[in-house]
Amino acid sequence: MSKLNETDIQGFVLRGYNFHYARYLFLHFEDAARARKLIEWLLPSITTGQRWDGGKPQSTTNIAFTHRGLAAFELPAATLISFPVEFQQGMKDRADILGDTGLNAPEHWDAIWREGKVHAWLGINGLTAAGLDARCAEIEALLEETKGAVLLGSQDAASQIVNGTANTKEHFGYTDGFGNPDYLGFERSTQPGQGKLMPDGSWQKLATGELLLGYADEAGELPVAPVPHILASNGTFMAYRKMHQNLATFRAYLEEHGKLYGGGKEKLAAKFIGRWRDGTPLELSPDREDQSIVLDPQRSTNFTYGADGDGTKCPVGAHMRRVHPRDAFGFNGKLIDRRRITRRGLPYGPFAAEGDAVSDTDDRGIIFMALNASLSRQFEFVQQQWIEYGNDAHQGNDKDMLMGNHGGHGKFVVQGDRSAANPPYVCAHLPSFVELKGGDYFFLPSITALGMIAMNLVDPR
Amino acid sequence: MPNVNGSVYGLTILSPIIDDEKATPSHDLQIRAYLATLPTGEESPFAQAAGTHLCRLVVMDDVVYVGMPACEEHLKSKYLIFESNLDAANDAGLESYLRGLAGTISQHLDAIWGHCVGYPGAGNADAFVRYMKACQLETTFFFAAVNDKTVPETLRALQTQRAVTDFIANHQGMEPARLQAEFVEFAARLKAEPTPPAGSIGEGSWGRGRTIKTGGHNE
Repeated sequence: MSKLNETDIQGFVLRGYNFHYARYLFLHFEDAARARKLIEWLLPSITTGQRWDGGKPQSTTNIAFTHRGLAAFELPAATLISFPVEFQQGMKDRADILGDTGLNAPEHWDAIWREGKVHAWLGINGLTAAGLDARCAEIEALLEETKGAVLLGSQDAASQIVNGTANTKEHFGYTDGFGNPDYLGFERSTQPGQGKLMPDGSWQKLATGELLLGYADEAGELPVAPVPHILASNGTFMAYRKMHQNLATFRAYLEEHGKLYGGGKEKLAAKFIGRWRDGTPLELSPDREDQSIVLDPQRSTNFTYGADGDGTKCPVGAHMRRVHPRDAFGFNGKLIDRRRITRRGLPYGPFAAEGDAVSDTDDRGIIFMALNASLSRQFEFVQQQWIEYGNDAHQGNDKDMLMGNHGGHGKFVVQGDRSAANPPYVCAHLPSFVELKGGDYFFLPSITALGMIAMNLVDPR
Repeated sequence: MPNVNGSVYGLTILSPIIDDEKATPSHDLQIRAYLATLPTGEESPFAQAAGTHLCRLVVMDDVVYVGMPACEEHLKSKYLIFESNLDAANDAGLESYLRGLAGTISQHLDAIWGHCVGYPGAGNADAFVRYMKACQLETTFFFAAVNDKTVPETLRALQTQRAVTDFIANHQGMEPARLQAEFVEFAARLKAEPTPPAGSIGEGSWGRGRTIKTGGHNE
């Protein structure tokens, strides 16, 4: 596999920018010609995957389209129907398959996601809040001037800043964002635990086609992609999900059960997810937080579950173990290599320190974006089988502790041993700690493909 | 050993469907129409007869021609396929299972297999068993999710697992003497409970079954 053309791939796909401020703008196209013109104007400022040898820019700009958005460009019908069915349907129509029912059902989503008018996602990241505002102001002025699209709404998201320093905590207090899969052809510093597990215990990069269209995937096949090939190549699909966090419920539940659980509150919080809240993996340090592990790239994601089959260190149903099972399902981890996703995202809403008064109705949560070559095989599979069902993890009908659509009926078993500090425990009557507020499926085209769309040159023949 | 995996028998039966130009609708369509009305879960006839872990009935029309370079081939007949995982570890066990079906759900068997060539009816159990075995194909390899427990044992185990999980969840941290007293009472109560009926545990049952829509190539 030769090096990828980083100048043709959107930067948002190739790397997490690690910027602390973001705004996602949601656009609606009213006229195909004006929409194409807008893309033409935006194109020179779309951030690519090229390295920033001259230092980070003040802001980044990336763009993606829903299937309705692509139709609004009046792409040829033969191209539009060649997209995978789940993308054509959009996330709302996939609710039953995703388990987005009950509290998470579309009827409870924000209006913008219920109405189905979102055509494009513009992802703006800012190095500073001022950099973000400045870039967004430019874009809004461009929209105003060109009438290329209507701005339906926007979503702000930002890291938590403590004493002037940003961290990677989310609202429940967990340190987030440990590692994404590595892919062949990507120039990126890699660390053990982030690719695929090999029989000798080493970690290798995943096939490029697990993320990018136009390349071989882990089965040696080309991912299902639209025609023409050049429209698809170097592009990817994104699931965008706005997930509200019921912080008051989470804190009350943890407080109540932390008192009953013999290992104490912080250990129970760690058991939920598989890492202590400072990020230390339970598998490597089951009894205490250890920043020396968290800060060491050779160790922070470098572990497997094979020697912990009983889940006495990291529970079998812990969030991290369910969604990235490594070797937990046997066969040297082979069963999961086609179920990996690249995650992007930031929290939204005000952060609340421990002890601050909080309410479930406070507007806070996380913007979760999953990038993958196949929404159905990767994101949807993980959501359906590993978040909303427990059979693969030998947890029966139990859903993911944190992310599951429990509605008060959930259960999570903390495996333990005979020691007083690590007893078994059953968390029952789980409420929904997280509720879906909407989102959709997007196609993130390559720079070449954006140019073809702008110039109305998409030809499926 | 073919047909058997642990204490579970993998039964495969192919019965040729009557080809009668005068039948309206044709016999295979009549089978399809009847199968479409059969309930699943607790109300399924195969839950009412003893010993079925799971089973499936399929009407096979023909082999599908997929185009060049495959050659076009056809079956001599349409077939009714019956696949069943049942409690039996040998031929005698299979025979007793088939006799159980004939004795419990004969009206369903007759309504389905009545459209098959040479079917003698379930009223005559000996003839029924002979017919089914004549239509049997060797199951060379099959997967049994549970291969060392009978259907009632499995149902009992699931019932116990759920009850014990609930007991633990509701009694964690309780003072030991009281916990013991409540456990003794709980164990006695559980023991006295009847085994849940086949088909009663699973999808959507007890408010906590699997509610998600599945299918397609996600699985």
